[in-house]
Amino acid sequence: MEGQNSHLTCETQARDRIKLNVGGKLFETTVWTLLSAGPDSLLAALSARHQDNEDPIFIDRDPEIFTVLLYLLRTNRLPSTARRFSKQELTEEALYYGVESRFKLAILPPPLVGIDASLIETIRPASDGFPTAFTAGAGDGSVWIAHGGQISGYDLNLMHAGTIRTHLNSITSIRRVWPEVAAVGSNFAAGLHFYDFSSGRHIGSTHWTDSTDPRIYKAKVYSITDSSNSVFASFDCSHRENCILQIDKSTLKIASEIGRLPGNSTKTVVPRKLTFLAEPGIIIGSSVSSGAFGFSGYIRIWDPRSGVMVWETNEPGSGRSSRFGDSFADVDVEVEESTMFKVCSKSGDIGMADLRNLKDDPWIYLEEKNPSLRNMGGEENSVIHCYRKQVFVSRETGLHVWSRVAQSEENIEKRDFERWCYRRNYVDKVEDYKEKGMIRRMEGGGDRLFVSRERVEGLEVWESSDLSGAISVL
Amino acid sequence: MPTQFQSIRKKPDIITINVGGQLFQTTKQTLTLAGSNSLLYTISLSSSNIVPFIDRDPEIFSILLSLLRTSNLPSKAKTIDLQDLIFEAEFYGLGELLVSSLSNPSQFEAFNLERSLVLPLSGRDSPSVISTTDSGSLHVAHGSKITSFDWSLKKKSTILTHFTAVDSLLAISPCLAAAGATDFSGLQILDLKRGFVRETLNWENQTKSDCTVQAIGSSGNHLFTSFESGRRNSNTIMVFDMQDSFSPVSEIAHGEIFGAELDSAIPATKLQWVPGYNLLMAAGSHGGPSGVMGNIRLWDVRSGNVHWGINEKIDCFSDVTVSDNLSAIFKVGVSSGEVYFADMRKLDAVNPWICLGDGRKGLFKGKKEGAGCKIESHGNQVFCSKQGDVELWSEVLIGSTRDYEDELDERVFRKNVIGRMKDSGQSRITNLGFGGNRMVVTRKDQQSVEVWQSASKAY
Repeated sequence: MEGQNSHLTCETQARDRIKLNVGGKLFETTVWTLLSAGPDSLLAALSARHQDNEDPIFIDRDPEIFTVLLYLLRTNRLPSTARRFSKQELTEEALYYGVESRFKLAILPPPLVGIDASLIETIRPASDGFPTAFTAGAGDGSVWIAHGGQISGYDLNLMHAGTIRTHLNSITSIRRVWPEVAAVGSNFAAGLHFYDFSSGRHIGSTHWTDSTDPRIYKAKVYSITDSSNSVFASFDCSHRENCILQIDKSTLKIASEIGRLPGNSTKTVVPRKLTFLAEPGIIIGSSVSSGAFGFSGYIRIWDPRSGVMVWETNEPGSGRSSRFGDSFADVDVEVEESTMFKVCSKSGDIGMADLRNLKDDPWIYLEEKNPSLRNMGGEENSVIHCYRKQVFVSRETGLHVWSRVAQSEENIEKRDFERWCYRRNYVDKVEDYKEKGMIRRMEGGGDRLFVSRERVEGLEVWESSDLSGAISVL
Repeated sequence: MPTQFQSIRKKPDIITINVGGQLFQTTKQTLTLAGSNSLLYTISLSSSNIVPFIDRDPEIFSILLSLLRTSNLPSKAKTIDLQDLIFEAEFYGLGELLVSSLSNPSQFEAFNLERSLVLPLSGRDSPSVISTTDSGSLHVAHGSKITSFDWSLKKKSTILTHFTAVDSLLAISPCLAAAGATDFSGLQILDLKRGFVRETLNWENQTKSDCTVQAIGSSGNHLFTSFESGRRNSNTIMVFDMQDSFSPVSEIAHGEIFGAELDSAIPATKLQWVPGYNLLMAAGSHGGPSGVMGNIRLWDVRSGNVHWGINEKIDCFSDVTVSDNLSAIFKVGVSSGEVYFADMRKLDAVNPWICLGDGRKGLFKGKKEGAGCKIESHGNQVFCSKQGDVELWSEVLIGSTRDYEDELDERVFRKNVIGRMKDSGQSRITNLGFGGNRMVVTRKDQQSVEVWQSASKAY
């Protein structure tokens, strides 16, 4: 912004004023306001032209929508009159004037705060509406949902951007690896496949092969993640041997093979969750299986440059651990803070580990101080997801969040975890979790949390809001 | 009015402003009303002949100009969302004028309150305590969170606290509050915008144990906090200076419990400043084998002496409040559930309480009719919650000609039940609060706050 003086102009700035005639209605504003739309916008271009002509510049568009957009340029916020128009109309009009970047910033939801989030929408694809996988990887609040063999894209306004059909019959993992390219895999069909979303075309496939071992064929993909230049996918053969393949994003060729495991025990099965942590450049894989004797699983960390495994933990671990028999039901990595969280299968406790300082037993357990929330018991069907320094944990159909009480920067810098005070709160209301399916997957994207439930059509979208949502009962 | 028309001829007083392409004409005097911090005031001072240009929305400016001219909003303002008005008013420096025209305590109409809004709260915790400010902003503690609503009740923000549940909350300003709990040591001064603990206030007691917060009160200059030691054998009321970064000023009402004499020092669980008398009302009670006992004290904060006090043994208060305007103390009896009043000018009587109802009910000790009732005074009225309903007590002023046939007491108080038929029969009221022109109510197991105001004042 050009500063406050742009609003009040005296004689010195009189020549910076500009008159517009939009659809017959006269507007007067300053060059600075129009220039704030960005150098490539139509309005900035018009503002450069006005000196040669004293007459108002005529634009043949709807004046009412222009009022909204001019208000946005003047104040950086959308007026309530914007609600008279659909988001589609406003987006198109913003695109016409070239102010879409300002518009996008203004309509995005406020920062996602788990303690103050509510279910705002359920996205329901028109057919096969049970999401089998989804990706919010673009980070702007848009989401691509894989349902059956289709991929439906929803843009940052959560408007349907298109649906493509893939050759797979059931996509079980998806990752948006380029702005317009999805990497998809299925537990039921071999290979990792790349689809261009805008054209709906299959643009490439990757299969795990080994020239020395003929048993390695028709490997299926269990999880996908990506870094800025590579895609990582975990492959599993029918005889359970598995590995992670690093695939170059631009050539779609296999770059390296990491962490090959025989798959003959629960501690060597294929990783079902992969996370790439850009800061030290490591890949974190985990798998949890449940059987008659409870849960067992592992977390392994590899350095993809050397292909060496740098750390691993297995649960149930050795009997020395005080938490023996309380192995994790799910783990997730907090990318922003380089920490890792697990939810214990029996106690439901949350353990936190510092990824920069991993030891044999790195876990610090978060303390539950609220008596009404204590001893919630077995979290067998828990899903854990870390997003924006908060830990979202589901238990059956309910959803709660662990968030940190605001602290001085110093404590956070020092990574003095004993002093990081976490509190658990429910995200959902009573009416939000009753008679609903079990939560299967959660993923954050932009300032939204997407939640899919078992045997429930559609994908839930949770957002925070700074509006009170007051309901008139007069 | 001829004077206004005359001023047109005196040209220098008329000011033309161009807002977003529309011309507005007004007088220097009108613009001066905006106050010296306002942008419009600056314009009124400029003497140049060039029409000043403001690059803002003209439609909203026209409404704000009407507000400036008449100090009331025109009815056409209702076509515009209040948030837009607030935002633009802030820009012109007219924020306070807008607050005082829309959310003014003087617009509170006790007899015309209607259940008008429900403010939902996130999560599954029901509100434990609420606090309001004069302008009508509202803070609600639910579980470990505090949600703050601005004076327009259109915007909210939520912060996370260290407390498991907040038991005492007092709004100091729209973005600062004091919070404490009966299971957490120390009083926290919280920045409600960023969620930071700005200050933690403690009572340095002799046993060096934790001190929990039982009640918070404020006189505008001083912050009063009733602390109890962690071992629950001593308690006090600390006075902090609100102007001087909450430094401790003095300590009053220090009490120690010796042996089993629990009644010797009951911690105050309600603190209320009585500005008309310059006294602090402190009241506390506890339930024992012989029923509920308690005491009410009026403290002179400067000297640290008790101005007046009463020990309550029969039909002890369930809640108590002082009405400055009515010069009376009101309580609701825990056994009877009836409202009593004590005239502040006749406190020296042996039993100052006069029951406004059937006083005999209070003699049955086993009964708990009044348990959980809340009583609060606001303006010239006293509000008492009984289960799901709110009773409104007001004084009927009787002229000097008093007839014995009227059978009227010296002071006449009468009650009404607030609300319509459809509002009754809801769950028990847990908090009553007053701010701006509204009454706010929370109920047991409801994850929301109810707002009552006169419908004509609702924006």
